[in-house]
Amino acid sequence: MIKSLIAASVAAVLMTGTALADTTLKLVEVITSPERTETLRGIVKTFEEANPGTTVEIISLPWNEAFEKFATMYSAGEIPDVMEMPDTWLALYGNNGALEDLEPYLKDWEHTADLSDRALEFGRQVGGKTYMLPYGFYLRAMFYNKKLLQEAGVAEPPKTLDEFMEASKKVSALPGKYGYCLRGGPGGLNGWMMFGASMAGSDQLFKEDGTSTFADPGWVNGLKYLVDLYRNGYAPKDSVNWGFNDIVAGFYSGTCAFLDQDPDALIAIAERMNPDDYGVTTMPKGPDGKTFPTIGFAGWSMLANSAEKDLAWKLIATLEGPEGNIAWNKRTGALPALTSASKDPHFATPQFEGWFKELADPDAKPLSMPTYLEEFAYFKDSLVIKTSQQALLGEITPEDLARQWADYMTAAQQKWLANKK
Amino acid sequence: MTAFVASRRRPFLQRLADASEPWLYTAPALILIVAVMLVPLVLGVSYAFRDIKLLNPFGGGFVGLKHFEALATDQAFRTALVNTLWWTGASVLIQFVFGLILALLLNQPFRGRAIAQALCFLPWAVPSFLTGLDWAWLFNPVIGPLPHWFVALGLMETPQSILSDPDLAMWGPIAANVWWGIPFFAITLLAALQAIPKDLYEAAAIDGAGPIERFRSITLPFLAPTIAITILLRTVWISNFADLIVVMTNGGPADRTQIVASYIFTTAFRRLDFGYASAIALVLLVLLLAYSMLIVLLRQSLLKRG
Amino acid sequence: MRRNPVLTVLHRLAIGLYIAFALFPLYWLLKVSVTPNDLLYSEGVRLWPSRTSFEHYAFVIANSEFPRFFLNSFIVSGSTAVIVTIVAAVAGYALSRFAFRGKYWITALMLLTQMFPLVMLIAPMFKILSPLGLTNSLTGLIVVYTAFNVPFATFLMQSFFDGIPRDLEEAAMIDGATRFVAFRQIILPLTLPGIAATLGFVFTAAWSELLFALMLISGNAAATFPVGLLSFVSKFSVDFGQMMAAGILALIPAALFFLLIQRYLVQGLTAGAVKG
Repeated sequence: MIKSLIAASVAAVLMTGTALADTTLKLVEVITSPERTETLRGIVKTFEEANPGTTVEIISLPWNEAFEKFATMYSAGEIPDVMEMPDTWLALYGNNGALEDLEPYLKDWEHTADLSDRALEFGRQVGGKTYMLPYGFYLRAMFYNKKLLQEAGVAEPPKTLDEFMEASKKVSALPGKYGYCLRGGPGGLNGWMMFGASMAGSDQLFKEDGTSTFADPGWVNGLKYLVDLYRNGYAPKDSVNWGFNDIVAGFYSGTCAFLDQDPDALIAIAERMNPDDYGVTTMPKGPDGKTFPTIGFAGWSMLANSAEKDLAWKLIATLEGPEGNIAWNKRTGALPALTSASKDPHFATPQFEGWFKELADPDAKPLSMPTYLEEFAYFKDSLVIKTSQQALLGEITPEDLARQWADYMTAAQQKWLANKK
Repeated sequence: MTAFVASRRRPFLQRLADASEPWLYTAPALILIVAVMLVPLVLGVSYAFRDIKLLNPFGGGFVGLKHFEALATDQAFRTALVNTLWWTGASVLIQFVFGLILALLLNQPFRGRAIAQALCFLPWAVPSFLTGLDWAWLFNPVIGPLPHWFVALGLMETPQSILSDPDLAMWGPIAANVWWGIPFFAITLLAALQAIPKDLYEAAAIDGAGPIERFRSITLPFLAPTIAITILLRTVWISNFADLIVVMTNGGPADRTQIVASYIFTTAFRRLDFGYASAIALVLLVLLLAYSMLIVLLRQSLLKRG
Repeated sequence: MRRNPVLTVLHRLAIGLYIAFALFPLYWLLKVSVTPNDLLYSEGVRLWPSRTSFEHYAFVIANSEFPRFFLNSFIVSGSTAVIVTIVAAVAGYALSRFAFRGKYWITALMLLTQMFPLVMLIAPMFKILSPLGLTNSLTGLIVVYTAFNVPFATFLMQSFFDGIPRDLEEAAMIDGATRFVAFRQIILPLTLPGIAATLGFVFTAAWSELLFALMLISGNAAATFPVGLLSFVSKFSVDFGQMMAAGILALIPAALFFLLIQRYLVQGLTAGAVKG
């Protein structure tokens, strides 16, 4: 008995000895949920099996605190090998020399040709270097509540901004019901951008000299449209402070009839609503017959400080390869970056039809945010929330709102242009 | 005191040993505080005079008083300062009043007092993050009952969240904070109440003093030192306490619930501007220090009178 | 003293009202935790859902890493409570029993530490702890929590000692006992309620702490339960049912511990009445 114990402990010591000789890769995920982590662990396992002697340590940072947490870790020198990179952080880390250019690895990768053009375009956004490989896209489309529209006497989902305002008005006439699930709180920028660009009829955010277009009449009208919608009572009064959970809850619970969301919201909504009670359609079009649903992305980046770059690339390749990409996007709900993956039967369901129709519509042009600007993260997460809430509450006019945004973004863009030279 | 009188006759080494005794006892606490809190604190204060941006490898130079000059004209800081006064003042005052009432109620013997006391103190054990979330729900018209009760009471026309109303938003976190913080006052004040000798009240009753007179002339003077120290501690804690606000309103709508502590957090971790954030923190520290001095002086004079 | 029956009724009524006020938010947490997902919003304002389920509890216990978060929280809070109480008892004793130069400076230093916005300590602290290997470790968290809680605990302990007459130990010392023996045999037993109170106070504080647990710990191996709770909040959805089930489970130990010691808290404080 004692002998076998000793033998076991000696074996254990030997095993830790060999374990120390092995390499460990650190992988940070920042958009997390218990289920996502589980899926990620599954994909990582195939990597570990294919590369004996390598273990991957997964570090999950809860999304709401991920920004400050990762910045603290990074600045104290606790740097992972591979990380999940949201679009809004790319410029910050890319410009500060934190990320490795993936171009050399892509040259020899068998699946490079399978990556959609849009994926490569987004991945190369900062300084022309491929600082990330997007795994998927988040495209906005309009969810609508069929029951509420019927009750309000709206025959079909609105196609233009005018129809949208009219439909919202009709739904709001029902007691305790509202038209639009407005997002006035965290993450609200997408809505402002879409209504602004659609009203302006253009997705051009800056002029040649770097001046922002926010203060142009078309944009101001778009911002005014949303402010009016709220001030006329076509959106819940509470929505001035609403974030993701509140708008989605407002939609589930039938408080408001329209919700602009990414496909990932489908997962949550499908769990709680009868599939016959809601539909997904293209965002309403502006006076020029065009609409600009925002598109976002997230992907994988390699850190420049990684000591095991070849292994880190292999890990990215496993995550981004067909099997990994399909499994991951099924869980995240994003539209996959690999062309072959988007042909997977999972994405061929009627649920996703709304998005694929929108993508196919020549008058619906995906609008990408100026995520290449370092200042964008603060603009989106702090400045916009505060000032747009002031506009909704009537403390400042839509013109003031547009001017404040334009001033901030013009300075950021001109700084960027100057650095580029 | 006898120890000190005796020490004069002792040899030098013995006196040294005696003099170092209190330091020996306080050493572990002091070492911990200095190493874990004071050193980072001094570092943090030094940031206030430097250009420190997280992630910016080229920053770090001294900029003198630049951050403070910027602070003088920072409208957001001024708003946050006023909000902090509101938040702290209302929270402390209401917690204290209800804490005192609760302590007086629990000070009367009755059957089931132990269990009642335990239940009353329970909120203190709830983590602040959970408290904030819970109260945000209670105020939510879709998943909480409070707005519907307000409507039933005629306080509100349609069920809405007060957290989204710019004029009322601050009362949401304050309500949560009051719920959570009453037990602290109740526990400390109850303890102080129980230390008041009972014969004092009996003597006063014989002299014909009514309950209000007894409260004014016996209870309050006995409680005064405890009240001073608990109010001091709670004020300092609450003015630095942003958890509930961050969870419930995130400073919104339109900065109506942004307090200095949450503004520091935004500046440090959203703009990653640690230099400026440290400057704001330093100003807050100075204000709190001034306030504490005031309370300590007040308490000294109260103790002398008592 | 005989009491007016109207006053007695009012008194019980007031107590009952306050208990309802204290318990209702907790009741709401419980309600959310047993509401099935599909009813969470549709029956959001009902006082009790038409259908209850324990699926969230089952998920939290079986499928998430909560058992480990629990264990971590226990280790951290327990160790912190014990270490803080020992350190604070010794320091509080010194502050209570000795008149020495520097006493006021020590008190002032301790008060000062209560005033600085802790947010600003995170980055410098991370930089100091990282090379020592104390980030991402339970030990690091224990060290930090201990330092945070020592000042207030010292004030508490000092006030307990202040409440114990000096004559007791002086008599013992005249009888030839050393100060330490006097402390151990006479003073310590008298302060037991105070010690229990300090233990409980520090335990609940450490059990609930979120900011530093979040910033200093990455990865699940050393995460405490408040950090684990946040893992239910993702960018795209929040599983409130599961989160609340986890929250309720996590409340149980803290609440139990608190219920056990709160009697001592009042009793212990009575001795010194937080005279500071």
